[in-house]
Amino acid sequence: MTSIASRTGSASSVRSREARSRRRFPVGRSFVAFILLAIAAFTIFPLIWLVLTSIRPANTVFTGGFWPTSISFSAYARAWNSTDFGLHFANSLWITLATVLGVVVFASLAGYAFAKLRFPFKNVIYVLLLATLMMPSTSLIIPLYLQLKNLGLLNTQIGLVVLYVSSSAPFSMFLMRAFFETLPDELTQAARIDGAGEFAIFWRIVLPLARPGLATVIIFQFLQTWNEFIYANTVLQNTDELPLQPVLFGLVGQYQTDWPTLCAGLTMSIVPVVLVYVWMQRQFVAGMTLGAVKN
Amino acid sequence: MSTSSSTVRVGTRRSSRPGAGLWKLQRSERIAGYGFVVPITVLFALFVGWPIIFAIYLSFTRWSGFGSPSLIGLDNYARMFSDPVAATAFWNTILFAVITTVLQTAIPLVIAVLLSAVWRGLSVVVRTLLFIPGIISFVVSGVLWKLIYDPNLGTLNNLLKSIGLGAWQQHWLSDPALVMPSIMVVSLWGAVGMNMLIFFAGIQGVDPTYYEAAQVDGASRWQQFWYVTVPSLRVVTAIVISLNLMNGFKVFDLIYVMTAGGPNHASEVFGTYLYSLAFGSTAGSIPQLGYGSAFSVVVMLLCGAAVLVQIVLSRRASR
Repeated sequence: MTSIASRTGSASSVRSREARSRRRFPVGRSFVAFILLAIAAFTIFPLIWLVLTSIRPANTVFTGGFWPTSISFSAYARAWNSTDFGLHFANSLWITLATVLGVVVFASLAGYAFAKLRFPFKNVIYVLLLATLMMPSTSLIIPLYLQLKNLGLLNTQIGLVVLYVSSSAPFSMFLMRAFFETLPDELTQAARIDGAGEFAIFWRIVLPLARPGLATVIIFQFLQTWNEFIYANTVLQNTDELPLQPVLFGLVGQYQTDWPTLCAGLTMSIVPVVLVYVWMQRQFVAGMTLGAVKN
Repeated sequence: MSTSSSTVRVGTRRSSRPGAGLWKLQRSERIAGYGFVVPITVLFALFVGWPIIFAIYLSFTRWSGFGSPSLIGLDNYARMFSDPVAATAFWNTILFAVITTVLQTAIPLVIAVLLSAVWRGLSVVVRTLLFIPGIISFVVSGVLWKLIYDPNLGTLNNLLKSIGLGAWQQHWLSDPALVMPSIMVVSLWGAVGMNMLIFFAGIQGVDPTYYEAAQVDGASRWQQFWYVTVPSLRVVTAIVISLNLMNGFKVFDLIYVMTAGGPNHASEVFGTYLYSLAFGSTAGSIPQLGYGSAFSVVVMLLCGAAVLVQIVLSRRASR
């Protein structure tokens, strides 16, 4: 798995291999290119339609051609105001950031311990934590709901964050361990002999070196938490506390025929994700492919 | 056991610095080790480990969430066999998992092979575009496709009409025969980019001398694909297959958002059924936490089976 990511990462070797593989298809390249462009166009068409629908004047949505003849951004104002979009956007943002922070702290601490420290029963604990990596979130929704209720965390954003952190941290820990293992043992041992405390070794020496691994974990976790729906929809009942996904789900019934408003809401919700994607594409793809292999 | 083996390792590694200091170093390392691992382990025990055990226990009980659960043995599992909705959910889950796995493995593989044959610039653009649906939440893609599939106002039916295929217009999501295929298309739309990237990375890793040798032997391009590319990608393919199988078994968001299991349970899968049993999509129904948990256990077992498939396939592939 890690090898896939590193292969995607090492651009130079990929490029030379691509050049070699290209020679295998001397003719018909334009035809292949045409097919690929057609596939790409089909794939992206629904999203273009989404954006175009959001900027149509409300009275021309179900009439007229594919390209709108006049443009109006009033649907964005309607979507923003009528759904309290700002509030739910902020909720999503803080829930996501809190989850990412929690996952990074717990996963890197444990990942480092499993990679570099020696203590009894290490392997037993490690295997236990990873044994349920493939557990789908739906299958635990009933006992988790009851557990949060017992702990008085039902209907709280903290409860939701706790669920997110505990269900995602083991996988990120697995990734962080892989990154920490690539660092030489001499590094930590030298620091230890110089009298550095264990936490100082982790915080000042090891963690800064694991920055590429951290970036992957952060991006993967950001995306996963931002897009999560079922836990958010189940744990929180108070409208004011909801993050974006359940609110977007609720829009469907509310704006059954006001498609521009609906589409404006959907578009606004994917803007941050697409921005992060375009901005940090390489780490993003590495994180996602790793994440996919997990899921 | 691990204590003694680590002591040996430490002893050999630090043989230049023996004595009391060594013991102290090891002790602080042990304390730190547990300290670093305890937080994640506690969270895991509370919110993963215990819930799994509790779900298994609940699956042997009848419980509405009030009072205490009453043990009824295997009744919930027996009930599945006489419950027509459970049968629909079972077949839909299996068919969804198997069909999406086939499509979401074969199509991305072909696209990845084609991508490795075109100009780099074009390849980057196409890869970037194909990947975008995969980063969008299932809620957004579900709602978006619901609008596209809308029988009266939706783009798909309008498009068919405008190109003279008006007879092909369908009630995509309210026709029981079409609803599952329609949802599978959305799943495919979201999954192509990611699986394609995994295959693409795999293809970049194939030793180019294999192709050169095949060319020398006069292999056609199709033969090169079939006899060189496909066998070289066996491990990657095993990963993609089991990944898609697992995602198929646990499908929930997309169906919940697009049809909530309807019309009349025609698109019900285990995930949506257990959710509606526990949290009541049908108004006024009593929560059936025991029966719902039995489906949780079945989903866990199916995902466990998908993991086994991966282990078996990759063992065979790497042989």
